Amino acid sequence: MIGTTPTSLRPSVPPSLPPSLPPSLPPSLPQPRAHSRTLRRLLANPVVALAAGFLVLITLAAILVPLVSPFDPYETTLRLRLKPPGGDWLLGTDTQGRDLLTRLLYGTRTTLLLGFTGVIFGTLLGGGIGILAAFYRRLDGPLMRLIDVFLSFPSILFGLSLAAVLGPGLDSLILAIGLSVMPGIARIARGAAASVMAQEYMDGGRVIGLPDRILMTRYLLANCAAPILVYVTLAFGDAVLLAASLGFLGLGLQPPMAELGSIAAEGRSFLFIAPHVSTAASALIFCIVLSFNLLGDAFRDAADKRFT
Amino acid sequence: MTAAATGKILRSPGHPAGALPRAEKAQPLLQVRGLSVRFQTDAGPLQAVDGVDLDLHPGETLAIVGESGSGKSVLSLALMGLLPKIATVTAERLRFAGHDLLSLAPRDWQRLRGREMSMIFQEPATALNPVRSVGAQIVEAIRLHEKVSRKAAWARAVEMLRQTGIPAPERRAAAYPHELSGGMRQRAMIAMSLVLRPSLLIADEPTTALDVTVQAQILDLLRGLARESGTAIVIITHDLGVVAEMADRVQVLYAGRAVESATAAALFDGPEHPYTVGLLGSMPSKGERAEALTPIEGSIPDLRALPPGCHFHPRCPFAAPRCRAERPPLAPVYPGHETACWFSPLLETLGEGAGREGT
Repeated sequence: MIGTTPTSLRPSVPPSLPPSLPPSLPPSLPQPRAHSRTLRRLLANPVVALAAGFLVLITLAAILVPLVSPFDPYETTLRLRLKPPGGDWLLGTDTQGRDLLTRLLYGTRTTLLLGFTGVIFGTLLGGGIGILAAFYRRLDGPLMRLIDVFLSFPSILFGLSLAAVLGPGLDSLILAIGLSVMPGIARIARGAAASVMAQEYMDGGRVIGLPDRILMTRYLLANCAAPILVYVTLAFGDAVLLAASLGFLGLGLQPPMAELGSIAAEGRSFLFIAPHVSTAASALIFCIVLSFNLLGDAFRDAADKRFT
Repeated sequence: MTAAATGKILRSPGHPAGALPRAEKAQPLLQVRGLSVRFQTDAGPLQAVDGVDLDLHPGETLAIVGESGSGKSVLSLALMGLLPKIATVTAERLRFAGHDLLSLAPRDWQRLRGREMSMIFQEPATALNPVRSVGAQIVEAIRLHEKVSRKAAWARAVEMLRQTGIPAPERRAAAYPHELSGGMRQRAMIAMSLVLRPSLLIADEPTTALDVTVQAQILDLLRGLARESGTAIVIITHDLGVVAEMADRVQVLYAGRAVESATAAALFDGPEHPYTVGLLGSMPSKGERAEALTPIEGSIPDLRALPPGCHFHPRCPFAAPRCRAERPPLAPVYPGHETACWFSPLLETLGEGAGREGT
């Protein structure tokens, strides 16, 4: 044939693969999936391993506490109130004479559950908004201005006003948490989706006749899920903190139920005679939020390494 | 509509009907008259394609040739209805397989794409969805248009991959695009676009991103598969080697306008537009070692500030006052050979020596 102009090889070809394999050579096998390797590299970092280990442990403990703990989380024994740590009660007792460790683990249950459902709700909403804004350019302006409005409200204020409107309770808390993580996720999702929209495979999907619905899910969402999920991990820390803050302000669940923020609030009046109640609850909140943040940062770094 | 991005399609009022109607062999598969694409940009309107006529018969291969910026890719996207909304597409006539593409609803576009018309892109590394295996993507294309079981569609996908010459297609179907080499990705892309035997395939620089050794294989494959399924091809390229390999007819585009249209043989034999002459002169060839390549001086003009008269005159070695003032229409020189140059036929008006060497 007549001289075709050679062009430089695409830089994205992994160096281990030759540009084309003559048919006689044994075909190279698909490489092992990158996920397991990434995970292993992440956990090689002791800080990350510690944070992940702590979260796994505290989650398991919170789930298993009804089976493991010999104490009743609700039965009050005023005679035994505010006992210091040690002895029969590992972390002492609270203002009503209940085992503090048991209360804290029950509280962790509530707090994690609130954070988790809130973040899921916020992710679905924010992710959906971000994807739609990137896919339909027409909606971009209106949707993102709406997000800006949400961003300009402090999340505590959100929680307070929602609780005032809906009354304190599980659903208004989840709504408040969801709506406060939603704007950040929407922005991240829209940014990630906008860069995916510029990719040729979006047109590649169109030329085989795919409808918008499939383009948005299997093409757009599937390709920007990683950065969104990284951000969601970071949002968990915020969500847990917000749940605890609202609990501390008395907007959480009503008294006999345990919640980390409300336990910290209960102990506040006895800070000088029995500092262990507030201290233990606060320390637990601190550790959980810190662990989520460390884990999120590590995910982000790992993702950055893979994306660039 | 979808962001599917056909752009706004308007019917242009009376665009002067292009050339004289050719002897109609049969109903052409694709018939384009006076296709124009205009982009609204911050720096004013940009006429990317200006009054292009095309005729493509079933099974035929048409090459659209031009430099970067000549509007050839925009033209192909317009035919697929894939232009973004900032583009305005107008045409006097835009018919494909009995459909009027100008008034096609989004849903009908979706039905047409993939089954009746398909496209392969320059860069197979970015044209495949990275998070799905190539087999799954082919299955998706099949099941979108035909009611077949997942298993049957998978078998067909594997069979199609085998036809494109991918070794061990059963295993490769389960591979993700990043696990394949560039040549194999392009084969997978071809498999995906031809699996439903569309009547039209638009290939936008299908070999530009590939290693030279793979380029010829891909062209062979494309030609073989298209012939087998009776698919007509519009191949967009700047590479005259590809044109010589593939095309029945050639359309040369310059700054959004067709400047020459001929059969491939006639074009290589006796180019009738100075731009085409220049393109041929700047192509390396065997044999004439003594001669240096003759590049075309200058570069393609800014489409927002096109020179008056013939758009090519600032770079044309033959430019005369008339070329600066009046735009030459695309007119036949010989039967089936049209060119937009005041001096055509070149050999007669400019004498011997004006043909091959360029200047």
